[in-house]
Amino acid sequence: MRIRKSLQEILKIMNQNEMIAANIAHWKTIPERAGRSVAFPDQIHPKIRRALENRGISSLYTHQYSAFEAARSYDSFVAVTPTASGKTLCYNLPVLQQVTENENSRALYLFPTKALAQDQKSEINELIEEIGIDIKSYTYDGDTPSNIRQVIRKAGHVVMTNPDMLHSAILPHHTKWVSLFENLKYIVIDELHTYRGVFGSHFANVLRRLKRICAYYGSRPTFICTSATIANPKELAEKLTGDKMRLIDNNGAPVGKKHFVFYNPPIVNKPLNIRRSATLESKKLASLFLENEIQTIVFARSRVRVEILLTYLQEMIKRKVGNKSIRGYRGGYLPKQRREIEKGLRTGEIMGVVSTNALELGVDIGQLQVCVMNGYPGTIASTWQQGGRAGRRQDESVVVLVASSTPLDQYIIQNPEYFFNRNPETARINPDNLIILVDHLKCAAYELPFKNGDTFGGVEIDDIMYFLTEEGILHEQGNRWYWMNDSFPAHNISLRSASQENVVIIDQTDVANVKVIGEMDRFSSMTLLHEEAIYLHQGIQYQVEKLDYEEKKAYIREVDVDYYTDANLAVSLKVLEEDKQKSYLDSQVAFGDVTVNAMATIFKKIKFGTHENIGSGPITLPEEELHTSASWISFSENMIEGLSEQELEEGLVGLSNVLRHVAPLFVMCDVSDLHVVPQVKASHSQLPTVFFYDRYPGGIGLSEYVYDHISEIMKEAELVIDRCPCEKGCPSCVGNEVQYRDVKSLALKFMKEGRNDSNYVTSK
Amino acid sequence: MSLQNKLNRFKKQLTHVGTDPTSKKTIKPIKEKQEVNAPEWRALQARAIRFEDQHCILREKNLTKEYKIGQYTVNDLHDVIKRWNDRSQSHPLSAGGRQAGDLLFFDTETTGLGSGAGNTIFLLGVARVIEDDIQVRQYFLPEPGNEVALYHHFLTDVQDTSNLVTYNGKAFDWPQVKTRHTFVRDMVPKLPPFGHFDLLHGARRVWKKTYDSLRLSIVEKELLNIERTEDTPGYLAPMLYFEYLREKDPAILDGVFRHNEWDVLTLISLYTHLSNVLLDQSHGSLSTTERYEIAKWYEAINDFTEAKQRYVCLLDTSARIKAKKALANLYKRGKDIDKAVFYWESVIETEEDVESYIELSKIYEHKYKDFEKALYFARKGYEAWKSMKRILRKQEEKDQAQFNKRIIRIESKIG
Repeated sequence: MRIRKSLQEILKIMNQNEMIAANIAHWKTIPERAGRSVAFPDQIHPKIRRALENRGISSLYTHQYSAFEAARSYDSFVAVTPTASGKTLCYNLPVLQQVTENENSRALYLFPTKALAQDQKSEINELIEEIGIDIKSYTYDGDTPSNIRQVIRKAGHVVMTNPDMLHSAILPHHTKWVSLFENLKYIVIDELHTYRGVFGSHFANVLRRLKRICAYYGSRPTFICTSATIANPKELAEKLTGDKMRLIDNNGAPVGKKHFVFYNPPIVNKPLNIRRSATLESKKLASLFLENEIQTIVFARSRVRVEILLTYLQEMIKRKVGNKSIRGYRGGYLPKQRREIEKGLRTGEIMGVVSTNALELGVDIGQLQVCVMNGYPGTIASTWQQGGRAGRRQDESVVVLVASSTPLDQYIIQNPEYFFNRNPETARINPDNLIILVDHLKCAAYELPFKNGDTFGGVEIDDIMYFLTEEGILHEQGNRWYWMNDSFPAHNISLRSASQENVVIIDQTDVANVKVIGEMDRFSSMTLLHEEAIYLHQGIQYQVEKLDYEEKKAYIREVDVDYYTDANLAVSLKVLEEDKQKSYLDSQVAFGDVTVNAMATIFKKIKFGTHENIGSGPITLPEEELHTSASWISFSENMIEGLSEQELEEGLVGLSNVLRHVAPLFVMCDVSDLHVVPQVKASHSQLPTVFFYDRYPGGIGLSEYVYDHISEIMKEAELVIDRCPCEKGCPSCVGNEVQYRDVKSLALKFMKEGRNDSNYVTSK
Repeated sequence: MSLQNKLNRFKKQLTHVGTDPTSKKTIKPIKEKQEVNAPEWRALQARAIRFEDQHCILREKNLTKEYKIGQYTVNDLHDVIKRWNDRSQSHPLSAGGRQAGDLLFFDTETTGLGSGAGNTIFLLGVARVIEDDIQVRQYFLPEPGNEVALYHHFLTDVQDTSNLVTYNGKAFDWPQVKTRHTFVRDMVPKLPPFGHFDLLHGARRVWKKTYDSLRLSIVEKELLNIERTEDTPGYLAPMLYFEYLREKDPAILDGVFRHNEWDVLTLISLYTHLSNVLLDQSHGSLSTTERYEIAKWYEAINDFTEAKQRYVCLLDTSARIKAKKALANLYKRGKDIDKAVFYWESVIETEEDVESYIELSKIYEHKYKDFEKALYFARKGYEAWKSMKRILRKQEEKDQAQFNKRIIRIESKIG
């Protein structure tokens, strides 16, 4: 019989086994911390108090106490609550207290996903049952049966829903929710930090609409927000809600001992500084725990990575771990499948899960002991969030970060102090993005007419009202604008993704049982669901047989091959207008509007295991066009004197490769939200230029931030290259496929110019 | 980039709700005050009516008792209402306890589909019987900001009626009235607690097997001998209203008013017809399918006496098997086992009917304790079942297991 090793024993092995220990770049043990608590406030209803005591809660953590005090004086606040710190009590306690004092009171809970709302409903209902007072709490989402919808609208004290549902089902039908809006005391926004970028910008506008409707029905609710650790929770909450916020960050919950291990795969090719694949190393480390039946979560950065790792681990486990299973988890799985996986993790039936950042959110999957990250998640905040999945409830736990060879990963792994000491990133939104704003103004006008001179979240909107009137969408009468169109505007607006419609994925392996197994946004589908692409779903390989781009359907069939596919996207860029500009000695930085044309060109087939290229094919899909904002830095003729075209191109590509990873670090966005594109001869200036553009139409403020902080970004990029141990460039800094002998020094030359802010010349 | 430029740059994305392509050419955003009692309104038999500082448009028309809507006149309506009143059993379309004048035949025209807050009702059309005349009144919203006047007049005028008659009004028109009423509820009368006959529900019960679509225009053509000429289809109504708001020329609305008027008048005719069909025992012009569906409807509302009578009348038609089985089931429910057995046995005289065999087997086993006969019917049923074509394998296995169980059990009782 095999004897299972304990977590501590495995840690010992990691420390002693040369094969592993040699690759550990940094090992930080974060000691446990005792909790800080305060007695219940006197005003808490005795029944609530008894219910809490019955569940073993005899006092409040300091932050829960502060939250209660703030909420009861109707001060909006944001509480910073790491995983497992008892954040739900921060809102449930004041809300339940309110309802016991006045049973007409209503509260609206907003969770970023349907799943979170359902988790929370069970939790609050258990507490309510224990309290023994008739308080009704319901989830309201697409699954809610129509016969109980009416009950919820009229009599639900606590209504739990998500932004999408609020946007498309509640606000446009506000006349059916009069009793909610007239009596709304609290709006709870959970997982506040997830509302950034495009989604956050949309959500801010949904909240503007919500407040407008509350005002119409005469209520003025207090906002209760909870957030994971980010640099600017208060600013984000204020920008999202438009209310003044109190910040509550005196977390009093106890924390278990945590080992944070930075693991850098060994170099296999010294001159080129090529390291062993992070995916293979992640598999090895995860297996170490899984073989000993220690519940482990593995995070991977893309859907494809998730599926590849899943394939590897399932293969391994078939031999060693008996019946307990390893599952995948990511966007694109159907809800039922996800619920089943979440439950399996809680009950322990599922031993391991490989996930994208979809499990970063507070979905209740219970207590895992180990977290392995295949690659740096991209932001400090995400890393802590993912790491928090291990050891949620005070036990000893391990987080292993396996670096990939990208510049950002190598930078992080070699500068652990950067990670442990730096503030987490700032979450940025731009609610006034014109496209997003106008979309929601249409919805708002559908909900209630606008008056001349009305503002929307502080924005003056008369010009937009006139524009929409001219377009025949609104009608002006007596200083008011009325919706006058036969459509339902919320239906055309998706809060989540840049492209408006998703491609559904249809499995036709079994001709008699053709079924939809998932969906994907249109932009991603260009590179992941093109014809002949290998699409992985739950570890099963499918080949795309037909992508009907018009109808947004991808038809796939199960296959068994030993490769996966990787597609190229060709991007061209035109400057439409320059809004801001600053000049240095040999470079210019500008910000303005651009048109981006993107087209998927070819795909490569890449063999599992060896990762070698074994074939390729063309992709024939129409070009996608995007109007957005961008910043760009162009270099003068002086800089490029004596360089051949090829040298110049490689230099710029090298520079872009580093910037692509470093810029998102500063802007706090996903690498896919801010694109970096080099051009040897930009069409507007004929100069070598690197562009940074927002992936969302109209821009959401990312590239503008780049414009403002270009010097810092360049400095950081320079450090990445400087510190890279390679000689003349490698995949960990300037990138692959190096012909020119010293791309590294060339890229450095560009960067030195870029960061040079002493010889500032003009700015307009 | 200036806001104006940006708005133009993103025009395509900003207006993807589907703008009316004709709108831009004719745009005149600022309108001089309209003379509310313009001759153009009079040409439509309409006039402005005021309430405080607002007004709405009322179009009114009276039709004398000789006026025929398709094949019916007001007299026919009075007649069916009298017959409903003579009947003691309830029915969802029964006008028992009411008079013709209590009924409010009602239809709306709106700016869009769906039930959202921004879907405005711009025309409320009603028809009612006043003594022997039919009065049609249409309340029109001349500007979106005039809803107080619209609902004030509409709700004041209909106070002495008590029952709506609509076509799909339970799901659409009336909820939408509730939605719009919410906006002005503090300034206008409350919504009355109307009774409601939704004739679409009735039409579905009786004719869903007969016609592919039960759109009002099809129903009136097929059943009521109403032929509209130059009708403006309902789906154009929103566009025409938008155009009216820009042009302020009432003539644009002529077709919409007529369409709505037709709709409410058709409701009178349809209600009369449906009542006739439900109340009439002679079935003169009815098809077997219609008669069978009506019997089923009575069964569904637990009016078993009426249902039995109507099934019995079907015994000499092509629906006789269905009717016999329905009768058998009704008698079984009424615990009249012998009569039930009579009808099932009568079914199997001509048909190898699995269900009847099973029912007979059950009764002979459990009630009559005649196990030989029970076994005989069980076996006959099993044979009949085996000769049927089946699609669902799961169900098949389940059925087969049940037959086997039944047969074995009865065999053991025989000993």
